[in-house]
This record gives sequence, C-alpha cells and structure tokens, in this order.
Amino acid sequence: MSTVGNSTNIFWQECPVGRAERQKLLNQKGCVLWITGLSGSGKSTLACTVGRELHSKGKLSYILDGDNLRHGLNRDLGFKAEDRTENIRRVGEVAKLFADAGLICIASLISPYRKDRDACRAMLPDANFIEVFMNMPLQLCEERDAKGLYKLARAGKIKGFTGIDDPYEPPLNCEIEIQQKDGVCPSPSDMAGEVVTYLGEKGFLQYS
Amino acid sequence: MIMMTHPVQKITVAAIRRRLPSVTGANPVLNLQFLCTSSILFITLVIRTSIFHFSGFCSLRLESPPVLPKLGFWDSRSDKRIGLGVGVVSPVRSKGFWSVMAMERLQMACVNEKVDNVGDLGKDGSELVENSTNGHVTVSGRTVSQLATIGNSTNIMWHGCPVDKVERQKLLKQKGCVIWITGLSGSGKSSVACALSQSLHCRGKLSYILDGDNVRHGLNRDLSFKAEDRAENIRRVGEVAKLFADAGLICIASLISPYRRDRDACRALLPEGSFIEVFMDVPLQVCEARDPKGLYKLARAGKIEGFTGIHDPYEPPLNCEIVLEHSEEVCASPRDMAEKVIHYLEENGYLQA
Repeated sequence: MSTVGNSTNIFWQECPVGRAERQKLLNQKGCVLWITGLSGSGKSTLACTVGRELHSKGKLSYILDGDNLRHGLNRDLGFKAEDRTENIRRVGEVAKLFADAGLICIASLISPYRKDRDACRAMLPDANFIEVFMNMPLQLCEERDAKGLYKLARAGKIKGFTGIDDPYEPPLNCEIEIQQKDGVCPSPSDMAGEVVTYLGEKGFLQYS
Repeated sequence: MIMMTHPVQKITVAAIRRRLPSVTGANPVLNLQFLCTSSILFITLVIRTSIFHFSGFCSLRLESPPVLPKLGFWDSRSDKRIGLGVGVVSPVRSKGFWSVMAMERLQMACVNEKVDNVGDLGKDGSELVENSTNGHVTVSGRTVSQLATIGNSTNIMWHGCPVDKVERQKLLKQKGCVIWITGLSGSGKSSVACALSQSLHCRGKLSYILDGDNVRHGLNRDLSFKAEDRAENIRRVGEVAKLFADAGLICIASLISPYRRDRDACRALLPEGSFIEVFMDVPLQVCEARDPKGLYKLARAGKIEGFTGIHDPYEPPLNCEIVLEHSEEVCASPRDMAEKVIHYLEENGYLQA
C-alpha cells in the first residue's frame, strides 16, 4: 500500500497478461514516438503518414494529437504555461499506457518546453521514447499557416502563441530530426519512411 | 500508369452535376478536392477530357503518384495555393467510359474553377455519411479551416487521419469497446478484470486494463478522494478508455466509481453499445469480510475518511449490461464471472471485426 501524489492507500494491481504477452500477440514492441515542433511544421501530417505506413505493415499504432486530446481528456486545460505542462504530462502518461498495451503510440504536440518533453522521456524506461523534431523554420511554418493561427497571432488576437510571443525550445538530443534539404521540405512519405526505418532498425516492428 | 491505392468510392459526374448546376459546357476542367476518410489531406485530380457528355463511365488512372508540394489547396490552372489543407496534384488521363474514382468523404468539387461544397456523396451519391474518428463523430462536409473552442482550449482544430477505427479493428479482428467494472472495494473488480484479460488473450484478443489504483499511480496522481477529484478521476479514465476503444482494444476499466452520474457521463462519451457496464453485486459485509487491502479495518478505525461503503455512498447501477452476483450457495470464481462477460462480448459481436 502506498501514497502516490494525492492518492492515498493505493495498491499496485498485477496481472498475468503483461506487456510481453501483448507484444507477442501484436508482433511488435510498444513505444512512444513523440513528434515536436512549431505549429504548421507538419507534425500531424507526419503522424498520419507514419500511422498509415505502419498499418500497411500490419502494425498497430495510435495517434495522440495535441489538438484532438484538447477536445476530450484535456478539455479543461488552456494554453498558460502551467496548463501546457499539465497537457504534456497527461499526454505522456497516456502514451505510456498505450506503449504498455503494446502499441506504437504517436504523440503529436508542439510541446515547446524541453523540461516537459524530458519529463515524458523519463516516464518511459528502456529507450522506448523516440523524440522526432520537425525542424522547420518559423518563416516556412508561418507561410503555410495551416490553421490561420500565425495571422491571428501577428494581429495580436492570440497571445502566447509559440514562435511569435512564446518560446519554442528545440531538442538537444532527439532520436530523429526532420529538416529541409537544400531549402526543400521532404515529402511526408519520405519523412515517414525515415521514421519507420528507424523503428525497424531498433527492433520495434517485431517481437523478439 | 499507376492506380490510386486509397480506398475509393465510385462517384458519377452526373451526381456532381446535380449538386453543382453551374457545371455546363464541353471540355470542362474537373478538379475534385477530397477530404480523406479522416484526414486533412485534400487531393486535387485534374481531369482534362474531350468528352462532351458527363453521364457515362470510364476508368481513370493516375499518371504519377500524388505529389504533396506544400500545404494548401492547389489550383492547377492558376498554379497557386488557394486555401487550407494539403494539396496534391495528380494528373490523370481518361479513356473509354469512365467513372470518377474518388477518395471516401468527397467534400468539395471545383468545376470550371468554381469551388463548391457538395458534402459527402456517400455510396450512391446522395447521402451525407457520418464518420467516427478518435471516437468523435464528424459529419462530412466539415472544412479544414474550421477552428473551434472546446472547454478552455481555444483555436484548436480537429485533425482527421487516414487509418481509422474500422481499419484497426480489421487488423485486430475484434471491435473496440469499454468494459466498465464497478462495485465496492473488495467486490472482486480487479480479479474479474485480470481473469477477463487472460481469457481474451487466450482467444487472441487484445485488451488493456485501466485499474483505478494503477491509474492513480500515473495519470491521476494529482487527484485525491474528495468528491470532485473522484469525479475528475472517473472523467479522465473514461476519456482514456474511449481512446483505447477507438484504437480497437477491449478496454477494461476497473474502478469503484461510486456515483451514478459519473459513470453515466463516461457512458455518454462512447458510441451506443460500446460501453458495457458490469456491476459487481456483492454485499458490503462480504466485501468487508474479505478486506483484501485492509482498508475497511482502517476505515472502521477512523484512519481513513470518506471510504465508500462506510462513510461514503455507493450508488448501484440502475441499468447495466451485466450483473455479476455474489451467491452464498454457488461460489463463482473470477474465471466463471469473466466467462459471463466473454459470452456477452461474443453475442454482441465484439470478438470479431
């Protein structure tokens, strides 16, 4: 019996069907692909493309998109610094559950603060946290302005928008970095290919 | 020539013309813009044809794989970005009789450069089809540019995605759902959850247990046992269970969850039939006699306050799918009880895609 955080008198419940059994059933290893980058850098697009690639190989993945989660689990959170931290903490915890279930969980969030992303990394032992940095220049993201948010931010209608009046802290040591080559963006399928190749090389696409 | 490999539906240009009375004349340039099944990708097919009448069928082939030049709609005539989303230009040739092979969830048609929302033409080109993505129902016809405010989250947009629940369920050969096991402490929830998980695993089915205590070690570590925190605990577990069900798993949530309103709120999150409430109907005195964690003893001694069954109420379900009753005469094992749940799942088609 223990006390964890504010939860007193709780017990850890063990069960005979564990992670190893589920991974064997799925013939893959659970992990978290954490895609980080500015708004408009292509995180959701990459997440979708990777999901599609994995599905075509018979692998089970699930996308935790920052915006989608803010429709449900995280609907009570805003964009203040502490809410962003809590948003990321919760997504990290859920991603951990999905990885434990044996899935390749693709988390796609701006997640601008290094400390918060590192805290998620710390939740997952055994090198199962794969950070993917969409290293696209602000200018490109703003030009795309996929959701019209940069325009609103420049007009002062959104405050604390990452890249405009809130910082983005790039990863110092991520597993995969996606960037332009000679000023040209790789296609989503090329980017997804790079990620899926990495997963294959590290043994996540089979149970061994 | 490369055939489009995405899931497609046949949509006749006649159907499009019915929707767009502005389409007239010979030699039109037909640009079809699609919203993928649940994706922000818009695909523009440029079809140049010398057919005068648009009431026949012919097969279309893509000349080259779709290209994603940059974000935005791609107007192939003016060769510039005109809107939001991801544009794909796929030049095609027509031959003979043809039908327009399209992605599911056709949203817009741009004919002779006039863009209109035609909604989802569905199977016969006539009805709007609802799609369920990440457990949320989206009515097709929703445009990418639509931002929303949900709760405290402003300026967020729903991102659709090509691999949906149906495809995951096909891969897993099962249907995602939530089995919500509720009852007093010591009523056997975790035991039944484990037995159920094991039984499902033996049948090659993927399940995952969200145990109240375990979740309080992680996601819900910031919550106490005050009434409002219990409500938030259950809300979060419900939302996570919904994600697991959407992922195609059989998610087994095992929590006291004493308040009817909170359990009903979780039920409301899920599509009809996907929330299976299992009530561990065991009398308080039996639970207290078991006292597997020594909590009743602590509660009686006043060392724990607000303990369900002792100081705090438990509201049994009024209309749950399965009741697992305790019987003095027949001592049912967790495995026997799990089989009752398996039987329900089988009968209701959850153990196949």
